[in-house]
Amino acid sequence: MAMSTRCLLAFCALLLTPTAAHAELNVVATLPDLAALAEVVGGDDVEVTALASPNRDPHYIDPRPNLILPLNRADLLIVNGLELEIGWLPPLQVAARNGRIQTGGPGYFDASTVVQPMEVPTGKVDRAMGDIHPGGNPHFLYDARQARRVVGALAKHMARLDPQNAADYARRAAAFDAKLAETTRRHAERFAALPDEKRRVVTYHASLVYLFDWLDIEEMQTIEPRPGIPPTPGHTAQVLSTMKAHDIRLVVQESYFPRKTSETLARLVDGTVVVLPGGTRFDEGEGYLAHIDDLVGRLYAALSK
Amino acid sequence: MRAMRTILTVLLAAPALAAAQTVDQAVLDALSAGLAADLGPATAPQTGGPAGNSNPDISLILDVAGAWFDGEPSQLGAHDPQSTGFNLQQLEMHIASNVDPFFRLEANLVFSEFGVEVEETYGTTLALPADLQMRGGLFLTRFGRINPTHPHAWRFVDQPLVNGKFFGGEGSRGLGAELSWLAPLPWFVEWVGSATMANGACCARSFYGADDPGVETPADLLYTAALKQFFALDDAWSLSWGLSGQFGPNASGNGNRSEIYGTDLYLHYRPANSPDREALSLQLEAMYRTRQVPSDRLADYGGYAQLVWTIDPRWEVGARYGYVSGLSDDPLDPGWVEDRHRASGQITVYPSHFSRVRLQANRDDRGDAVTWAGFLALELLIGAHGAHTF
Repeated sequence: MAMSTRCLLAFCALLLTPTAAHAELNVVATLPDLAALAEVVGGDDVEVTALASPNRDPHYIDPRPNLILPLNRADLLIVNGLELEIGWLPPLQVAARNGRIQTGGPGYFDASTVVQPMEVPTGKVDRAMGDIHPGGNPHFLYDARQARRVVGALAKHMARLDPQNAADYARRAAAFDAKLAETTRRHAERFAALPDEKRRVVTYHASLVYLFDWLDIEEMQTIEPRPGIPPTPGHTAQVLSTMKAHDIRLVVQESYFPRKTSETLARLVDGTVVVLPGGTRFDEGEGYLAHIDDLVGRLYAALSK
Repeated sequence: MRAMRTILTVLLAAPALAAAQTVDQAVLDALSAGLAADLGPATAPQTGGPAGNSNPDISLILDVAGAWFDGEPSQLGAHDPQSTGFNLQQLEMHIASNVDPFFRLEANLVFSEFGVEVEETYGTTLALPADLQMRGGLFLTRFGRINPTHPHAWRFVDQPLVNGKFFGGEGSRGLGAELSWLAPLPWFVEWVGSATMANGACCARSFYGADDPGVETPADLLYTAALKQFFALDDAWSLSWGLSGQFGPNASGNGNRSEIYGTDLYLHYRPANSPDREALSLQLEAMYRTRQVPSDRLADYGGYAQLVWTIDPRWEVGARYGYVSGLSDDPLDPGWVEDRHRASGQITVYPSHFSRVRLQANRDDRGDAVTWAGFLALELLIGAHGAHTF
């Protein structure tokens, strides 16, 4: 009895020994944009890994088992949410054997819970409508205003997990928020100066609605007849007549969507296809602001031509 | 353990930090207030739709096929189209949800025309310490690559021959417990060990099979061990390599035992920046089986290789070759003396993520007879679309 009590105490003492490396939070973000935001807020206090690369459609990331390793060690998992990662993240989370980052766990942060979602379906969602996300359009990271919300909430979450460095998280988030606010204003003003007829475009997938809301651009139609359904000849003909009727010469899409139909349409109206980077090149050291400036710059150059 | 440590650290340090935290909280609150003034209040989105958030994910998968055979059909898989005409391969209902922060529950109920079967139902731990994970219940053992998966994840209409002959029509599965461990190495290494009931003609035919002598000692159980490794060769190339073994008693009495050894390889290529999500995959599995029978030891082997090209999100083509050796005087398959070769080709169209139509042709050479077969299979999925594992 006495012996086992002593063993138990020794065991507890072992558990309670603070680990030296605890100053650093292991952060895993599903998307490179979220990783870039986490790195700004976390600075030297965090080690950030992005699961998806920016040149792949975030709906369709291969759940390669090597992604389980960073998830296994993570103190904080940042997801985009609104079911964007539903096709690949859940089994990785289970296989990670890490209670902290399970949905609803202390180290689970769903960025979509702090933004203002667009295109939230009001009626019944039916698959015949295509790949509708029942909680709203998940592509909010193209909008610097939504990124501001994420940054603020992220600082709070990191401060909760690592209270010792709370002041640093708050300070970095506040500084970055000011930069994001400036970026938001600067680009919005630039686009506001464009004449109305230059602010109409056609896109491939309905993934740019937040960007267009921020910069006041009108998406006249998508080349996909319904979200996630590849273009059909009948619908493409309809898009062409829309483009002709409104004198639209610009097709906007991300690099990872098919380009054939977009290029055909652009050729038929004597216009161009603007290919936007789908995410921050986090692995190459690019930051979120540089990514947004690049993305918005490409769009502006094409629109103002 | 770590959570407890964190909590205690926080509690112990609380008095010292209290002052500092109030200041930080003020900065954070000011940030939120500034955001709200600039952008308006954030509204939390409603996820999961009006059905509510706490319902489990439920999906229903229908597999039906029209089949044609130019001779005597002899398909080994319980979900394979079995005869010329229309076949209900299965109607599978998959239900899954986290139970609490510690467990996840999954169930696969399979409906046939005249009954329902609980194919799998098991709990998985979510937060065991030391990178361990347990499963308990009725589950497909993690032998090789194809065995743990369901027809929905298969690239061909029917099960590989070797799985049918060695494990049974429904693959290797049983009631039991499994422990797996993620090794703390720079690349993915997972060890898996399970103990399951050794009976069932459908799912442990090389062991007790249709016999059910009961469990008297641990030697009456079926043990499965597997080592899974994954190598991300680069951004586009992936390689999985597995080793598996299965050990248990067989039905020939006298404490006779059977053993199955297997290795599997999966090479996957998906280039970055391919807007068509083009991919090429090569999958190989080989198995070797020995069985003690009265006054003899039987040994046979088999395997398959399949190559699948995903052309774009809509189209896919694949070729597969399978082989299993035959034995004279095999008490389990008395008529199966000759080696059997089967070559298959398939072309599949995916109108969306939730439906597929697959056309497949088989040339099945049983040594004494060659049978040609053609399948036109339709799969439809409604409800939650569970993510696939790699």
